[in-house]
Amino acid sequence: MLAYIGRRISIAILILFGSTFITYNLQAYAGDPLAELRQSTEQNKQFLIDQLTKQLNLDVPPPARYFMWLQGILGVFTGNADLGMTRNKLPVIDQVVAAIPTTVRLVTVSTVLAIVLGITFGVLSAIRQYSRLDYSLTFVSFFLFSLPIFWVAVLLKEYMAIRFNDFLVNPVVDHIWAGGTAIVLAFVLAGFVGGSRRRVFATFGVGFLIFFGAFEAMSATLWLKDPSIGIIAIGVFGIGIAFGLTHVFTGLSNKKALGAAFTSVGFSLGMYYPFQQLAKGDTNYMVFTALAITMLVVSYFIGYFFTKIDKGPVIRVAMLTAFFTSLLTVIDRVMQTWKPYTELGAVAGRPIQTQGPVNILLKSNDFWINNLDLFTHILLPTTALTLISFAGYLRFSRGSVLEVLSMDYIRTARAKGVTEREVILRHALRNAMIPLTTLIAFDIAGILGGALITESVFGWRGMGSLSIEAIQNQDLNLLMGTFSITAFLAVMATLAADLIYSALDPRIRIRK
Amino acid sequence: MKKSVIKGVALVAASVLGVTGLSLAPASAVTRTTVVIQETNSLTGLNTAVVGANLVTNVDVTYPTGSGFTYWNNKAQLVRNTAFGTFKITKNVPGDFRVTYTVKKGIKWSDGTLITAQDLLLSHAISSSDYSVKAGLGDPTPADPDADPTNKFDSAGYGGPYDDHTTASSFDISDDNYSLTVRYDAFQPDWQLFGPGPSPIHALIGMAKGKKALQSARVNASYKSLFEEAYYGAYEALPPTDDEDYEAALEARTDARKTMATVAARWSTRYNITTVNSSTNPLVLVSNGGYMIDSCGSTSCTLKRNPLAATSGTPKLTGNVDTLVFKFPATGGTFSDVAAAQALANGEIDIYSGAASAAVWSTLKANTDATTIQASSALYEHVDLRVGSADAGAHPDCAADYTGPFAGNSQKAKDLRKAFLLTIPRQDIANTYIGKVFDPSTTANSTVLNSHLSLTTEGDYSKVVAGISSHVAEFSKTQDTRNAAALALVRKYYPSAGPGSNTIDVKLLRSTAARRADINLQIQIQAAKVGFNLSNVGNGAWPNFLDCNDYDAHLFAWSRSAISQTGSNAQYITTGGNNSYGWSDAGVDAAFNKFEGALSATELIAAKINAEKLVAAEYWSAPLYQWPGVASWNKSLKNVMYNPLNPNVVWNYWQFTY
Repeated sequence: MLAYIGRRISIAILILFGSTFITYNLQAYAGDPLAELRQSTEQNKQFLIDQLTKQLNLDVPPPARYFMWLQGILGVFTGNADLGMTRNKLPVIDQVVAAIPTTVRLVTVSTVLAIVLGITFGVLSAIRQYSRLDYSLTFVSFFLFSLPIFWVAVLLKEYMAIRFNDFLVNPVVDHIWAGGTAIVLAFVLAGFVGGSRRRVFATFGVGFLIFFGAFEAMSATLWLKDPSIGIIAIGVFGIGIAFGLTHVFTGLSNKKALGAAFTSVGFSLGMYYPFQQLAKGDTNYMVFTALAITMLVVSYFIGYFFTKIDKGPVIRVAMLTAFFTSLLTVIDRVMQTWKPYTELGAVAGRPIQTQGPVNILLKSNDFWINNLDLFTHILLPTTALTLISFAGYLRFSRGSVLEVLSMDYIRTARAKGVTEREVILRHALRNAMIPLTTLIAFDIAGILGGALITESVFGWRGMGSLSIEAIQNQDLNLLMGTFSITAFLAVMATLAADLIYSALDPRIRIRK
Repeated sequence: MKKSVIKGVALVAASVLGVTGLSLAPASAVTRTTVVIQETNSLTGLNTAVVGANLVTNVDVTYPTGSGFTYWNNKAQLVRNTAFGTFKITKNVPGDFRVTYTVKKGIKWSDGTLITAQDLLLSHAISSSDYSVKAGLGDPTPADPDADPTNKFDSAGYGGPYDDHTTASSFDISDDNYSLTVRYDAFQPDWQLFGPGPSPIHALIGMAKGKKALQSARVNASYKSLFEEAYYGAYEALPPTDDEDYEAALEARTDARKTMATVAARWSTRYNITTVNSSTNPLVLVSNGGYMIDSCGSTSCTLKRNPLAATSGTPKLTGNVDTLVFKFPATGGTFSDVAAAQALANGEIDIYSGAASAAVWSTLKANTDATTIQASSALYEHVDLRVGSADAGAHPDCAADYTGPFAGNSQKAKDLRKAFLLTIPRQDIANTYIGKVFDPSTTANSTVLNSHLSLTTEGDYSKVVAGISSHVAEFSKTQDTRNAAALALVRKYYPSAGPGSNTIDVKLLRSTAARRADINLQIQIQAAKVGFNLSNVGNGAWPNFLDCNDYDAHLFAWSRSAISQTGSNAQYITTGGNNSYGWSDAGVDAAFNKFEGALSATELIAAKINAEKLVAAEYWSAPLYQWPGVASWNKSLKNVMYNPLNPNVVWNYWQFTY
């Protein structure tokens, strides 16, 4: 095993050397770092060209200049790696270090969302193969997948930011709009619930009434100006969540699971008022994390003590129910901040912003205000990235589940009388997820590479936009700084994916 | 019963609506005092005089933090800033041309230190190669082209006409420390542009001494004297080695040089920052503008009003704006431009100015809360034809001599050059890249640039063009007429030339940008009708090939950073630095040399017309159009005016008001 890893690492080093060498030279030959200067009519142009030629070592041919750059990088073995200076004489390492957190924040959220949504819908799609839902999901995901991201971004900004903010001035919807949207949403809901024609119609009808009623109520109370959920509504939703999750994981006939889920809801509701006290504006992530861990631990034990046999699914139901119900409590707390936030001078009644990771005019120490500000900025880029990237996961997991479902051991499981839920959750899903590790490992490594266009369009100065800027300005050291880090992670991710794969799937063993 | 319930609900709903309708008013009634300005690139440093740092964003951000003897206004005129001081010519005889600058008494740096003529000294140290050499600060412009420059001040100020016409000792400070005289060895037509700018030398000495906090008035005064002594001491001539004072003088000079070298290092690096926060050395932020840098990060810089703004040397601040925020995009380019237009519509920014594109324009125009204007940038597109090798030598990877169709000054070469230039569809190109950007359906003709010397935004443009009206008329006839004339010229030498018989190969150098590819294609189509076989291949590293003899024609844009009398000389004089095409004509040289002398406004126009005529008769080049720009700002913000030169919309920040 060690020999295998050693061999892989030495190959990785060769790949890194080759890719950086090629990138460096391609970029060096593709453009002229003095381009802008040569077009200027400055009277001391020649002097400026001479100075930059000396500073950027332009009199050294690019292949030789590459080794000057490499020399700095190899300093990593002596403890003082030097990524060089940008052409604006700022250390590359500072630029990269400043860009990484921005990128990680943006791309992690959307990658996780894309994975969760993609796999969920992919599995649903596979289970209901060739149903309306399957076709619709396939259509929608491919449609979104083929949209250019900058165009999606422009549309999102226009409708979810500019027009939504305009709408917030007087958030009243007319009945036709409320009715139309309710019809669409009810249709989608009916598609997900599925079943007999009668059941579809019933779901559609009930869904329409609920959605229409909700829109009208929101409109009449100007809910969007000062939104809240409240403990009663959280209780109602919590019970719904408890039923839903129990249905999915164990079936409603499992009274133990249902009991555990209800206890979790009760526990979360019991935490509602203490939470309001503990998580005031001066709170911090430490308190917040401690509360979250408490919630998960308590719900784990709720599940653990509720049943003696087959604890796994019950614990899962209890924890997930507690998680979602508590999430509603947190959302409710954030909503309480909405009105004060929108009334701030820095926000001026236009909460959804289109540029940058934070509101630069906002100077607040309030935990909730600052987090809401993060949310109003991350909303659009995350939506854009998730929309166009979840199709890959959806199709991949759909295909993977379908392949597993057609295998002999699944038929055997069904033949011996295992319920369909058990077949899918216990036998099919786990094996279907194995091939996804490769995809996920790559995407997680890709997080640091950044989202080139999305970052540029939304004004997030991360790794992606840094790379674009480096290319635009012919800033070789900066480009190599971002590229070498991304390349290193990509190579490591392949290695990690292979190792995880062999650990997950005993059929695959690394040959000695 | 039922009815009354519904009525009750309706009443409650109506009252809720009414209440919230009222509560909307106060939020918008608060007077805004912050102006958010969107930049088109990120900040790279706070010292714009350092090599490579004279970039639009750096200039915009630092402009409100400083003031000097002049500034550019929105009509591309150089305005004298009397709040800072005055200047005038004090001697003008052959071989001795002097300008005296007087700093207004009582103006202060933001830390309260008086601004005096001593603060202008540094500007000579960073512009005079002679000073740099004699003061032991290295040679920025070595005579040997293969030698590396060794200058300690990483300054972009060396190597221009100022440097050529001054020496180390060209600066004299008056006894009262408020006036300074610059001595040139000849009259300088652009003397007004060469004014010395103030630098906080006391802060630089403080940094050189490792200080991390603002110093007292007494210490600052002593630092100023220290700098002045070091400045003069560094290049003082030593007595003969056998003189008894030699050792002492050498030691004093060594000390002075050491001080100047440290100042040079601080000046070159300490301002090269993009992050400003509470841990930034306050000495770096000492300035003399209406505003001071408060904080900077990767996405924005915040400037707060300088408490001493009234005595900073800045024109009087007449507005109620107390904070200026410069916002930087993640990257430059079209995506960021459209993003900026949408951010303006969403109220996130107050001012945006940048390149015009259809997408940006339509988004900006749809925003009724903003004032949006079309503008012309100081960038103009043109086609140049090669006549011979560059005076400074040909590109090493290309042919040693130019032998293409346009080579030399024979009648044939001139006729072919004229024929080629005649076919260029200048009007169609201008329409595509100006008019149709703003309105795709327009049939109106956009402004074609007809002058080589004046931009359409300059005051004398119409007079200059009127002076060359016959040439302009010849090149403004319909495409068919011009093509016919061109074909006649070509057939003098290639009788069978015409559509389908393109025997004259013309290789054009251009970038890979879509815009250039399209212009190239438009020219190619017309040129093919008169016998030219024009290439259409972009070159990513094109600027490096401007002196390459393999190319016959060149398509690109010159950018003007200032309006100066001698600004075009480098392009047309035989030995000019921007003349890469072997253009050489004694008459043209003489005509352009006139700009080196003193000219009145009318004389200048006459000289320009004369030069235009001679250049036109050589058929070297065709100007195409001036790049359009856009500017858009929050309607409630008053006094925003677009300036095609840097610092664009920020130039009159002191008048901004809500």
